[in-house]
Amino acid sequence: MIYLDYSATTPISYDVLDTYNKVSKEFIGNANSLHSLGLKSANLLESATKQIADIFGVNASEIIYTSGATEANNMALIGTALANHKKGKHIIVSKLEHPSIYVICDYLKSIGFEISYVKNDNEGLIDFDDLKKLVRNDTILVSICAVNSELGIRQPLKMIRQIIKKENMGTIIHSDMTQAIGKIPVNFHDVDLASMSAHKIFGPKGIGFLYKSSMIKINPLIYGSGKTNELNPGTPPLPLIASLSKACRLATEELEKKERFITLLNDKIVNTVSKYPNILINKTKYSIPQILNISLMKIQPETFLHALEKKEVYVSTNTACSSGEVSNSVIAVYNDIPRAKHTIRISLSSVTTTDEVNKFLTIFNEVYNSLSELKGEK
Amino acid sequence: MRKIIIIKYGELTLKKKNKNFFIKTLKNNIENNLSNIPHETYYDFGRMLIDAKEEYLDEITNRLQKVFGIYEIILGYITDNRDIENIKEEVLNLISKKSFQTFKVSTKRSDKTYEINSMEVNKMVASYILNNIPNIKVDIHKPELDIVIEIRYNEVLFYFDGYKALGGYPVGTLGKGLLMLSGGIDSPVAGFMSIKRGVKLEALYFESPPHTSEAAKEKVIKLARKLAKYNGEVKLHIINFTEIQETILKNIPHEYLITIMRRMMYRISSIVASRIHAEVIINGESIGQVASQTLTSMKCINEAIRLPVIRPLACFDKTEIMDIAHKIGTYQISILPYEDCCTIFVPKHPVINPSISKCLEYEKLIDVNNLVYRAINKHEVIKVNLEEQKYDDIL
Repeated sequence: MIYLDYSATTPISYDVLDTYNKVSKEFIGNANSLHSLGLKSANLLESATKQIADIFGVNASEIIYTSGATEANNMALIGTALANHKKGKHIIVSKLEHPSIYVICDYLKSIGFEISYVKNDNEGLIDFDDLKKLVRNDTILVSICAVNSELGIRQPLKMIRQIIKKENMGTIIHSDMTQAIGKIPVNFHDVDLASMSAHKIFGPKGIGFLYKSSMIKINPLIYGSGKTNELNPGTPPLPLIASLSKACRLATEELEKKERFITLLNDKIVNTVSKYPNILINKTKYSIPQILNISLMKIQPETFLHALEKKEVYVSTNTACSSGEVSNSVIAVYNDIPRAKHTIRISLSSVTTTDEVNKFLTIFNEVYNSLSELKGEK
Repeated sequence: MRKIIIIKYGELTLKKKNKNFFIKTLKNNIENNLSNIPHETYYDFGRMLIDAKEEYLDEITNRLQKVFGIYEIILGYITDNRDIENIKEEVLNLISKKSFQTFKVSTKRSDKTYEINSMEVNKMVASYILNNIPNIKVDIHKPELDIVIEIRYNEVLFYFDGYKALGGYPVGTLGKGLLMLSGGIDSPVAGFMSIKRGVKLEALYFESPPHTSEAAKEKVIKLARKLAKYNGEVKLHIINFTEIQETILKNIPHEYLITIMRRMMYRISSIVASRIHAEVIINGESIGQVASQTLTSMKCINEAIRLPVIRPLACFDKTEIMDIAHKIGTYQISILPYEDCCTIFVPKHPVINPSISKCLEYEKLIDVNNLVYRAINKHEVIKVNLEEQKYDDIL
């Protein structure tokens, strides 16, 4: 099997799975209980959270566990909107967000919030002038992903923060960092809120967190009891949390070294694939090497995906969360509908090998040729 | 030339006869703090120098900021070449990347046999700088950049500004105290302030299971760990207070519950203090904060023992205490909601002006001595170090 869909999800690392098993077996107490078993769990919870906080240079109280990035995005956007609706009802998002952000925005629109979409240039970079124009006195929130999930475009969050805060100090900045964490260095201090999911970094599915700066207030979406966190009450899922903490530690080790290696693999694929006549490479100078998007102009991407699958090669048509639709990101960057209808995403990771990439390119060639022949267009 | 950390001593420089003892204690405290970082320490009566690889210097300065007895920490430069030409060159090198309009050079010679006197060195270096960097001038009163050159017997030090450290006296230079440590906000702050004055602490905690929980004890251990950053290892004495507390509850009129309970705590603390050779008891009492902390109550409770009781927070407001608790990182732990010995069995109307004669009368209703000794004989000691529980196999 050649798995090249790491940006959809990653297999859990065995080291992380060990943690999950160990904690499930040995830490049976509820971290909210007063007895010694509860205390034992509470101590591990505290250390696990502290480790995450230390990795990202924030305080432990600023980490709020969620079921994943979608829940964190909900908590960030709706929580901010509910807490700040008296200051304003204007929210800005980019055109390169994960679909979950747009669905949340539709909901917020239905309850009276106004959503603006900031433009980007033809490299995918946020248009700073447009952003500056859009931020108003009643803008309560701006949400811009750190790395786009389809084209891997990376945004300069520090600059974006400076522009927004210069226009309105009170505007809260959220960033979906799901595709950034574990791939590139991130700085939580560039934003007020950040979402992530463990399953993108070789952690278990069903856990993630929202970073919420202690300087801002958001409303809870879930009400309940338990002393660990008022924004996410209830019994903390300790095995998942400990696994998340370990996954964060492993994923952020030697980032640069991993990135350098993946860049070589990415280059190799691009060099080969770009020689095909009817393939366009959807890559700008801001794309990270882990995500490679191409458009097969004469082949249905779904057909191609299934043909690859028969040979045990796994890739995505745009993203797993929006398959079947047109790629919004490709439209946002290239404004080319046919191109946006024909994308596939190849995503690499630090466990991808050169051998896998070589085999992939061979299989890619076979599949491409046979599908092209069917259309008589070789 | 390489980077080096220069330490200026705090108040201890005032103590003429004991100076050597103070500095040696400071050096030991520093060595303990830096035990897992490779480094060399040199000292004389004026300065301590810490020499380590450049990559360790940040961590070392961080840790030094938790050591009492240091007035100033300076990141400076050292060279063995004392030749005046070299000194000029090195200084120019160091300041060439800085931006400033005015400067001054202050030379100190601890080696008075050095052939050029301090004033001359100042002049020579300053004119060399003026010749090499355009558009700057000397300002001896308010320079933007104060360049200090210290010519020592075997080397020369260069430095600019340092930053203020904690001050105070080296821990242990002024004897030992026993801190009555509850889980509250005040007692850890009282402990911190005594450590600042050079007192080495051991701590004592009263637990009352099943009325108080394991979590409450854990909380106190965490507080002790915060203090261990400044104190070094904290020996935490844990006294089981259940029998005493229950006996008092059954036998003593309720308005005197707290007064008699505090008198029993004082008695136990006093005996433990003598056994560990502590000169004083230290606690977090603050005048008027609760019924047992009125002046009359203090007098009445203090009457039970002869050992001096130091109350560093006696005249502090709660907000001032909370500020310090935030600074030393104990506040967040202290506010965790667990019952402790002093918060369970609180009478509705505790006496605010207790009388000693009534205390003595009521104490006849219980077997004070036996209760005290039974509690002390069972007491547990935990050594609390900086190290938190590690989960290397899990996380």
